[in-house]
Amino acid sequence: MNNLVFGKYIPIDSFMHRLDPRAKLIGLFLMIAAVFIPKSWWAFLMIAVVELIALLLAKIGIRMIAQSFKPMIVMMIFLLVINVLTLHTGELLFMIGSVPVHHDAIFNTLFVVVRLLLMISITTLLTATTKPLDLTLGIEWILKPLEVFRFPTHEIAMMVSIALRFIPTIIEETMRIMNAQKSRGVDFENGSLSQKITSILSLIVPLFSVAFERAYELADAMEARGYVPGAERTRYHILKFHLADYLFILICIAVFAASILSRIFL
Amino acid sequence: MAISFKSLSYIYDKDMPYAHKALDNIDLELKEGVITAIIGETGSGKSTLVEHLNALLLPSEGSLEILDYKLIANQKIRFLKPLRKDVGLVFQFSEYQLFEESVLKDVAFGPLNFGYTAQEAQERARRALKLVGISENLYASSPLELSGGQKRRVAIAGIIACDPKIIVLDEPTAGLDPKGAKEMTDLFVSLNKKMNKTIIIVSHDNEMVYNVCDETVVLSRGKVVYAGDTLDLFNDPVKLKEFDLLEPQIVTFRNRLIEKGFKLSREARTLNLLSDEIVRQVRR
Ligand SMILES: Nc1ncnc2c1ncn2[C@@H]1O[C@H](COP(=O)(O)OP(=O)(O)OP(=O)(O)O)[C@@H](O)[C@H]1O
Ligand SMILES: [Mg+2]
Repeated sequence: MNNLVFGKYIPIDSFMHRLDPRAKLIGLFLMIAAVFIPKSWWAFLMIAVVELIALLLAKIGIRMIAQSFKPMIVMMIFLLVINVLTLHTGELLFMIGSVPVHHDAIFNTLFVVVRLLLMISITTLLTATTKPLDLTLGIEWILKPLEVFRFPTHEIAMMVSIALRFIPTIIEETMRIMNAQKSRGVDFENGSLSQKITSILSLIVPLFSVAFERAYELADAMEARGYVPGAERTRYHILKFHLADYLFILICIAVFAASILSRIFL
Repeated sequence: MAISFKSLSYIYDKDMPYAHKALDNIDLELKEGVITAIIGETGSGKSTLVEHLNALLLPSEGSLEILDYKLIANQKIRFLKPLRKDVGLVFQFSEYQLFEESVLKDVAFGPLNFGYTAQEAQERARRALKLVGISENLYASSPLELSGGQKRRVAIAGIIACDPKIIVLDEPTAGLDPKGAKEMTDLFVSLNKKMNKTIIIVSHDNEMVYNVCDETVVLSRGKVVYAGDTLDLFNDPVKLKEFDLLEPQIVTFRNRLIEKGFKLSREARTLNLLSDEIVRQVRR
């Protein structure tokens, strides 16, 4: 469970880590949009190069990004099989037994796969370089305009940040309870169905009781410090755009524009 | 020698940019049949060390021999269950592992997993609960409704009921009231003396360590800086200073009395033993 890379913050210092979360969020939206527009390999290559440079600037090993692709492999193979079986347009490339494999089946799959991989690495880059709490501040800022419609941005942001804050805690508790039950002879991998159910129960029941306990403690702590839902609040950390942030957004806009142009002209 | 660590290192989040070496080239022998304390400041690697003893963690480098089992870095092991039956590990905050609908069932859960019949498991659970001092009228209640201290006792009973040869306890008395902590400590001593169990206790409580633990291991930043006799360690001001340990009050007390002319043996390691010796000399 600790090997889960997708969505995990990597606590190091780098150029990407220092960027304003709002800039990174805007960049994320632009880049993801850019991934879904083009139909040419040149555009994908351009996005991939930009992404690679960003990864280098974030000091995140390519190895780690490659790890975040792992869970996708099964899905990709599944997609390929479906495409080969259903898509019969384009040149006939070769036969696997009696199954014909057509040009479009392969290339459509590749297209989707490339888009997915780009999207995952872009998202991983964001979550790996931005603390969850900063991320929620960014989201809150982006949702601000909705307050006109009485959308409770602050409450939502608070809920999201509490939820995010507790993910590592819950993972930690899960690991600890699993270890404790393993010490009592529970085998989480093997066993009959009824054994499996008991082993899951031995994990879930303590986990819920811990989660509730933590929730009560947190509610008490917040109340003790005078938290009132909906009250006007000031901030200790004030987000500020710097030159690097503007530059970063500019580059993302450029990539976005280039991918639109590629759709029109290539 | 029952347990021996050979050049063992453990790295958390290996291959990650923030990999952390929690144990660094540990060479350590722990004796069978005695009570060993593992002490050291917060984050020094105590929990990481003991989680190797029943293969919850496997060495990143080096190896660990325990009883007849051998854990070697990068090698798969096939004897998880027998090892975990022979080496019982009670966790820090063990009160959070209870889940069954009744105390008795929860304690019987371990023995059942290790292949005892339902009847045997129940008997073992009853015996273990008696040992840890949980009264019979609580057997049927939900373990989630007990107090923190009672939960801890039930969790400890859950391991004792599995009848391990080696019992490892990670801060078993933290958060218990003084009386409860003393009862627990007495229980560990009697498990060692009467049932000949090897006991390994991770603790921050130097007084308790001095009172009952035969051997002490001091960890600091993932390295073993001392392993040997408890009395030798705590009676040596140079070592105490070097490892930044507090002198147990009983040592301070005894030293002051010796300055005043009392003849007190080093073996008077508990207040009871010490006061016996004092009383004998005052009467004279
Ligand atoms: N699951 C984990 N992932 C990453 N690092 C960890 C993990 N568990 C422990 N560590 C790190 O390993 C080091 C040793 O931790 P360990 O829990 O063994 O210390 P400890 O001596 O038991 O401390 P304490 O007295 O607080 O219980 C610490 O620096 C800790 O931050
Ligand atoms: Mg610990």
